[in-house]
Amino acid sequence: MKKKTKLAILDYGVGNLYSITRAVANFCDDFIITDDPEVVARVDRLILPGVGSFAAGMAGIRVRSLVDSIKQFVQTGRPILGICLGAQLLMTRGFEFGNFTGLDIIPGEVVKLSGVGKGVKIPHIGWGQIKPSSSGKKGVLAGVSSGAYVYFVHSFIMQPKRQEDALTTTIYGESRFCSAIRHENVCGLQFHPEKSGAVGMQIINNFIKQT
Amino acid sequence: MDNIRIIPRLDIKGPNVVKGIFNEGLRIVGSPQELATRYYKAGADEIIYMDIVASLYQRNLDFELLKSVANHIFIPLTVGGGIRSIGDINNALRAGADKVAINTYAVKNPNFIKEAAQKFGSQCIVLSVEAKQKSVDLWEAYIDGGREKTGIDAVAWIKRAIKLGVGEVMVSSIDKDGLRGGFATELCQAVTAFASVPVIVHGGAGKLESVAEVLKLANPDAVAIASAFHYQDYSIKKLKNFLRSKEFPIRQ
Amino acid sequence: MTKITAKYGLPAKVSFCRKCVMSNQKPSSTVEFKYASGDKKKTIAFDAAGVCDACHFAEYKETQIDWKKREKQLRELCDRYRRTDSSYDCIVPGSGGKDSAFASHVLKYKYDMHPLTVTWAPHLYTDIGWRNFTAWIHQGGFDNVLFTPNGRVHRLLTRLAFKNLLHPFQPFIFGQKNIGAKFALKFNVPLVFYGENQAEYGNGKSPKENDIAQVRPEFFSSDESIDTIILGGVPVKKLLAKEGLSRNDLDPYLPVSARALKKQKVQVHYLAHYLKWDPQENFYYATKHTGFQANTERTEGSYSKYSSIDDKTDPFHYYTTLIKFGIGRATYDAAQEIRSRKITRAEGVALVRRYDQEFPERSFKDFLEYIDISKEEFWRIIDRARSPHIWKKEKGRWVLRHPIE
Repeated sequence: MKKKTKLAILDYGVGNLYSITRAVANFCDDFIITDDPEVVARVDRLILPGVGSFAAGMAGIRVRSLVDSIKQFVQTGRPILGICLGAQLLMTRGFEFGNFTGLDIIPGEVVKLSGVGKGVKIPHIGWGQIKPSSSGKKGVLAGVSSGAYVYFVHSFIMQPKRQEDALTTTIYGESRFCSAIRHENVCGLQFHPEKSGAVGMQIINNFIKQT
Repeated sequence: MDNIRIIPRLDIKGPNVVKGIFNEGLRIVGSPQELATRYYKAGADEIIYMDIVASLYQRNLDFELLKSVANHIFIPLTVGGGIRSIGDINNALRAGADKVAINTYAVKNPNFIKEAAQKFGSQCIVLSVEAKQKSVDLWEAYIDGGREKTGIDAVAWIKRAIKLGVGEVMVSSIDKDGLRGGFATELCQAVTAFASVPVIVHGGAGKLESVAEVLKLANPDAVAIASAFHYQDYSIKKLKNFLRSKEFPIRQ
Repeated sequence: MTKITAKYGLPAKVSFCRKCVMSNQKPSSTVEFKYASGDKKKTIAFDAAGVCDACHFAEYKETQIDWKKREKQLRELCDRYRRTDSSYDCIVPGSGGKDSAFASHVLKYKYDMHPLTVTWAPHLYTDIGWRNFTAWIHQGGFDNVLFTPNGRVHRLLTRLAFKNLLHPFQPFIFGQKNIGAKFALKFNVPLVFYGENQAEYGNGKSPKENDIAQVRPEFFSSDESIDTIILGGVPVKKLLAKEGLSRNDLDPYLPVSARALKKQKVQVHYLAHYLKWDPQENFYYATKHTGFQANTERTEGSYSKYSSIDDKTDPFHYYTTLIKFGIGRATYDAAQEIRSRKITRAEGVALVRRYDQEFPERSFKDFLEYIDISKEEFWRIIDRARSPHIWKKEKGRWVLRHPIE
């Protein structure tokens, strides 16, 4: 049964909203795609999608005067989900093509994926397994088994400052990196749940239903 | 080693999925929505959706049709066919594509790759190459749906395109296309030997063993399969189980 | 305004079929050995709704024929003629291209016949043509007789046909049409299977009238005096007197004796009368069963990679139809694919616009050498053959008055 909830998908000019919109529509009747701070202020849940560079993402948010509006949203304790670039932007700073300030909602940095070993390719494109931390099995990951496959497309990764903010890790080549972050009502996924088949749909449904 | 992706490929003409041999022939094998949904549910890792006549007929792919296909699948979708501008890429992404594959236009305007990769990110831009063997260790790249020679060394072209910023390469063998007689393993090897980006091999998937063989000999990152799936030689599940039994890392 | 005359007796006004891309200028099949230069051409007919004969035939094929019944008739025919001693029971003329590959293979391996395939050689074999020819024999598995006419005679007749009729393919057509019956008589095999009735491509008759099982004998046989025969636009008498040819030189081109056919009870059938003919499906079949390979690239003047790819001079056959009738190779290929529902008319139009007028540069040198004329003479002959109702000169270039719409 579809849940009626007021959910906003933030359109800040980077990346493609089609897939996430379709995925959300599967579970939710009442959602809107918006870049209006006033709308953001009123909804119950916020999704930050995004594909592209860190700098382009932050520029897109700033030019729409959304920085404060996102931060305020977080402060009210309402659930927010960042996906891929959207997750990375939650961090303090990012080092893609330079040194750029992020939203600084979860302390940490976005750095280049490295140490993957010889012959392992960057960008990381493909299915990887997520291993939740001990506290990680509730909330968005409810019903998702350890080792479930999700889809990644990225060259940069999140490095949260606080160990407990790392929600899942993933092995790629010789590297183990943080594939999802969480702090209270804020969650960020490096992978694309809207591209991860049934597992991804479970995650999205969990986010929509969570209180 | 990362999981090797098994990717059904849909060749689209008008409202139908078609399948040729040697990049010729337009036999209808199914409906795009039906096949894409079926393959998604059956465990495909991605779907490739190529309008194989867009460049030949000099028209655009049908974005409405693409939307109707993308609607039902929640795995990555790579879309190609007549992509000639930034606008086309935008339209494809808006209609549900996650990645865009380009051949003809990129060959004629290599800098378009650079422009597209910068705007959308490398990971969004896939180079599609249709290659025909000329002699030992030499393959020629073809455009316009495998109908027009270019005189360009396919391997050299791929090297150049990677430098220009493509995030992935799909290499198809015209010689093996549609025959279900095995891959052009030497072509695949020639590409995977140097490619610093993921490589999808396509053309010739036949018996289960033929897929294991190309994985073993050429070590690609993904395998695209059309005829064998469309004609139901085996299911995705059966192929994946078989490959796992041969110790290849395949997503469950 | 001066009245524009139409050459060759073609309809003065150019129009296009509403369903396929063929124009009303397309000539119907003729009895080639009666063709004198200056003869008026009969052309394809359009009905009041603007739909051509060939489309009507295609529709008829799709909806009016009981193909189960026809297949049964084929089986009965085969049962009557099948030989279980060591002899051949049917002749299948062809080149190992997709159509003859299909015909020979299905007759041998499905209908248990014992065909002798006979091949009237192309003017100049292409590599892919030779490759497919040998694959047909070695992989498909057939006995074959390859008849190659005397090259010097063939080239002479081709030159004459080009100069007099702008029809360089005529010498090929003579042999192609008569070789089945010729070898049926020589080897005493009373049954010949050709592929499809060229009349499917429009000759003014109703579909039912064209839906015949046997090839009309006037296309390949005759009992008239040799004096009535014209080859390359030159009466045989003149060829013998003026061109230094002998009766023996001309024999491969002449129609077979109608009397002999009757005596040996030879029947020449269209396999397409019994099995629903689809050239593209024949391609798929041939790749599977006889090792057929499509060409590496599309043929000049068209988009197709599998249609008629074994003769280097073939592109000039189509180029001359472009000059005389405004119809190039892409039009033929697209019209056929529209009728067999592989492509839409709009797609056909796009292909015609893109490829129809392409000059066959790749085989130009070979063609000039083959018929031994200079480039200048080639263009002189080409340009004088253009009909003003089809072509006009614009800024120094020849353009079609009525391009496809």
